[in-house]
Amino acid sequence: MKKILLNRDFILFSIILIILIAVGFANPLFITPKSISDVLTDTSILIILALSQMIVILIRAIDLSVASNLALSGMLISLLSTVHPELPVYYFIALSCVIGTTLGVLNGISIAILKVPFIVTTLGTLSIYRGLIYFVSDGKQVYSNEFSEDFLALIHFKFLSLSFLFWLAVVVFIIIYVLLNHTRFGRNLYSLGGNPDAAKYIGVNENKYIIMAYSLSGFFAGLCGYLWVARYSVASTQIAIGFELTVISACVVGGISVMGGVGTVLGCVLGALLIGLIRNALPAVDISQFWQLAISGAIILLAIIINTKTEQRKEKTIMVEN
Amino acid sequence: MSLIPDKPPFKLLDILYKKEFILFVVLVSILIINSNISPYFLDLYNLIDSTFLFSEKAIIALTMTFVIIARQIDLSVASIIAVSSVVLGYTTSLGYDTWLVLLLTLLSGTLCGAFNGAIITKFAIPSIIVTIGTMSLFRGLAYSFLEDSYYNKFPKLVGELGGGYLYGYIPYAFLTFILLAFVFAFILHKTSIGKKIYSIGNNPDAAQYTGIAVDKYTFVLFTLNGLFSAIAAIFLSGRLSSVRPNIAFGWELEIITMVVLGGVYIYGGSGSILGVVISIFILGMLSFGLGLLNVPGVGIIIFTGLLLILSIGFPSFVRTLRRKNE
Amino acid sequence: MKLELKNISKNFHGVKALQNVDFQLQENSIHALLGENGAGKSTLVKILCGVYQPDSGIINLNNKQQSIPDPSASLSLGISAIHQESVMFDELSVTENVFIGNHITKSNGLVDWGLMQDKTNQLLKDLEANIEPNEKIKDLSIAQRHIVQISRSLIHDADIVIMDEPTASLSQKEINELYTIIRNLKKQDKSIIFISHKLDEVIEVCDDFTVLRDGELIKSDTIQNTNKDQLITYMAGREVNQIFPKNNVTIENEIFEVRNLFKKTQFKDINFNLRKKEILGFYGLVGSGRTEIMKSIFGITKLDEGEILFKDQKILIRKPSDAIDQGIVYLSEERQQLGMTGLMSVKDNINMAVMDRNSNFYVMNKLKEIKNSSAMQEKLNIKVSYWSQLTQSLSGGNQQKTVIAKWLSTKPEVLILDEPTKGIDVRSKSAVHEFMGELVEEGMSIMMISSELPEILGMCDRVVVMYKGLIKDILNVKEASSEQIVKLASGES
Repeated sequence: MKKILLNRDFILFSIILIILIAVGFANPLFITPKSISDVLTDTSILIILALSQMIVILIRAIDLSVASNLALSGMLISLLSTVHPELPVYYFIALSCVIGTTLGVLNGISIAILKVPFIVTTLGTLSIYRGLIYFVSDGKQVYSNEFSEDFLALIHFKFLSLSFLFWLAVVVFIIIYVLLNHTRFGRNLYSLGGNPDAAKYIGVNENKYIIMAYSLSGFFAGLCGYLWVARYSVASTQIAIGFELTVISACVVGGISVMGGVGTVLGCVLGALLIGLIRNALPAVDISQFWQLAISGAIILLAIIINTKTEQRKEKTIMVEN
Repeated sequence: MSLIPDKPPFKLLDILYKKEFILFVVLVSILIINSNISPYFLDLYNLIDSTFLFSEKAIIALTMTFVIIARQIDLSVASIIAVSSVVLGYTTSLGYDTWLVLLLTLLSGTLCGAFNGAIITKFAIPSIIVTIGTMSLFRGLAYSFLEDSYYNKFPKLVGELGGGYLYGYIPYAFLTFILLAFVFAFILHKTSIGKKIYSIGNNPDAAQYTGIAVDKYTFVLFTLNGLFSAIAAIFLSGRLSSVRPNIAFGWELEIITMVVLGGVYIYGGSGSILGVVISIFILGMLSFGLGLLNVPGVGIIIFTGLLLILSIGFPSFVRTLRRKNE
Repeated sequence: MKLELKNISKNFHGVKALQNVDFQLQENSIHALLGENGAGKSTLVKILCGVYQPDSGIINLNNKQQSIPDPSASLSLGISAIHQESVMFDELSVTENVFIGNHITKSNGLVDWGLMQDKTNQLLKDLEANIEPNEKIKDLSIAQRHIVQISRSLIHDADIVIMDEPTASLSQKEINELYTIIRNLKKQDKSIIFISHKLDEVIEVCDDFTVLRDGELIKSDTIQNTNKDQLITYMAGREVNQIFPKNNVTIENEIFEVRNLFKKTQFKDINFNLRKKEILGFYGLVGSGRTEIMKSIFGITKLDEGEILFKDQKILIRKPSDAIDQGIVYLSEERQQLGMTGLMSVKDNINMAVMDRNSNFYVMNKLKEIKNSSAMQEKLNIKVSYWSQLTQSLSGGNQQKTVIAKWLSTKPEVLILDEPTKGIDVRSKSAVHEFMGELVEEGMSIMMISSELPEILGMCDRVVVMYKGLIKDILNVKEASSEQIVKLASGES
């Protein structure tokens, strides 16, 4: 019982509940099913990206280029849809994923083959991918009236009065959960992040896993490229700018250690939910949207400090009695 | 006493392999190419004015060099500029005396830097993650304070510093950068402070066990980085003559690029101020040249990103190939 | 014949690590692989593990020629290594560590956790080990970790198990348990390659031995046909007298004293003193709190309570530089990791602790640096071509001398040595002992942590025996018996 109470994921879940109740007291409209389903929809993209970022953080790296990747993939398919509105939506989704994966593979190659440290690589591609959007779009926006109906329809599909985005996030959660906990690939990611030198001895090919992790991160960034453009019915050079920080904070809050090899899929989702909840709750309790960024920053710091504190407490004990 | 020489016999060939020399060759080639492509490039006034494009970033790049050599990184500098600029605008709007305004602006940056340093050393958290957090926090504070308005009134001195020239020729920002570069080169390469910073970056544990106050140095370096961001904020606000919360957005990347391109190893322990200064000129002349060719700003961003990756990736790739051939 | 290596050679950048080495491992036997550091043992092991490829030579396994291109090939051939260094995954469970890299999957490709759990349980039961399969490795003791590693090789169905110094940090009780397990493995038709620096242990456990020196095969025979002295001669290439050159110096007055040191969960009631020109030994199991005390004295970690006296004056040590300023220095067990900056020059490393002395108002004085470096070079005979040479380009021995030079530059009066001879070969060992003797003669006082009883008995004047964070007794070495010390250190009596 004590173990459950001290479990990170449980604590996180309790915090989410407490915030939900507290905000509900201040503004009962916030805890209606409609409002909660909106929060879930609004957080879905964050959940998907946090889960894929988690894969990268597990192997002691970070992908700072996800938001730029998302925006570039989204812009490319939007431009295509203005020229070829007749193509089916599945085509655009697949294409977006392919573009995203390609950009992810480029990150992976730079890190694994060219040995450019991940911070440098993904900081570099953060601006390269963002810059390319200007090039392909000439700095113009693609507006909602330029998309085909088909392109936007999928996102409005609902099941059990919950949105397509939410159900997609659930599917991604299940896939990543199985991938990380029940496949050799996933377990090897944990071992590589936990002890890279030892992982080599058991035959884990580090370069292969780096490229795979970044490809997956790219794949989901590409997927979210479509989702973002379709949900907000706009593609521009500015979409999702700075969103990589929100994604990373979701992971950190969710207990994914930036030292690698530690973290649960459930924790990651809870982290994303907490961040999404706070972002949505601010207007409900009359806090200006301009506070959002500052609050996310404060949450990252708070979460990382708490994480480190609890880790450090587990010092080796020499004496039995004290 | 046996005589062991300090250095191996001087060989001209060794210079050719120095990072600084390679960077210098790149800089000269850029200057030659630029002057061939555009007749306006070698115009003295144009060249002088082009320094406005990079001087503020270059000032922060100096302290960032120290931070990175000490095996840390600071992604929050651009957000500190935002905080300091807002403080500058706000204190002016309150009608404070110019000197008090400047003092409070510098103090705000210093406090932000000290905040970074305190969290990093007090809780032993990697600086990359702390400064990702403070990057949002500081920028967010600027946003929440200013919302969608802006400041456009600053003391006269600030406007003069940002856009003015000494004797009508040398921009104050550029002058400040050059003077500071000499000071920083001296500290890094000639004093025990510099040597301790290298030791910390090279092996922080060994440095601690040798009695070097690693945490104190780390804290001071981050504080200094904050102070210099505030100095840059004064020049920048004066030059732009308007401050919005999104000021200097994305600058942390350009500043880190300046440092890393200059041959400072991203995981600490090696690098020189000379290399960073040359790299600053390379990037500055490059964007100036591309600007003259009417290449838009994003083209320069893409180019910078590529340069950053390739400048590290290419040499290490060649090294790997060579090792395989052995 | 289980395994036969013929004419194995391996060069690294022109250095001959192995030259035409033959090695034969019989079925059902425990084979000792012996040699000084750098003799080629670990190169040979790494070839068997598929980490290195031999330049020439043949590997026969079960009388069939094989190649071992990578670590996973080695595993699938039934070769498994239990490494000295940690190849464990601290954050993962025991079960997962046992199956790491070899997870059992169901027909649908997913990992079969239930089956792996059962198998681990069974295995640990067979080994009579009291370990929970769900526990995380970071919560286990060193001995338990060894058992998990052994389970790992059993799961891989390895019939050749390589053990690289498995007993280095175990208590006597744990060592005995490990011996039982090793003998059981032998009964289960496994062959074991056993690497150890403890020759008594080798003679007790092993059937055969092979000695390497400078990359060449020196001798291979059964243990019955040899003895300890002969093994030492094979390894060193000459007669080495295991005498300890502690010269007879007159011990003078007390110079250093600690009173009632206490640190929560680490140690308490620590009282001892050190006299000028004395060597004070600290004996106990790894993890008995010896290193933790020294770290607190040196200012790396904070004491909760207690006071430190130096030359009858109470001193306050808050950080390492306080200790260094007083003339107290600490040489860590991890000599390179905590002592050296490899990418800086030899000169910088030698002067690293005396930068303030070598500078005038922060500006470095190169002449002073070179003067000190030259003085140290002369004293320690560091082989260096020029002062700006990078320290990592020196040989291991010279790197170690550079670290010692760094500390001697501070002109210390009290020297704390943490396992100064751990993992180094017989010849270097006696050089270190000789040097300690010289330092004491010059007037220094030494505190030495050591896990090797002969070293303690040979070098020290008195020994502090520790067990679980407490001082059990402080004995005069001349009057103490080794049995008495071992008993105290294992918590008996």
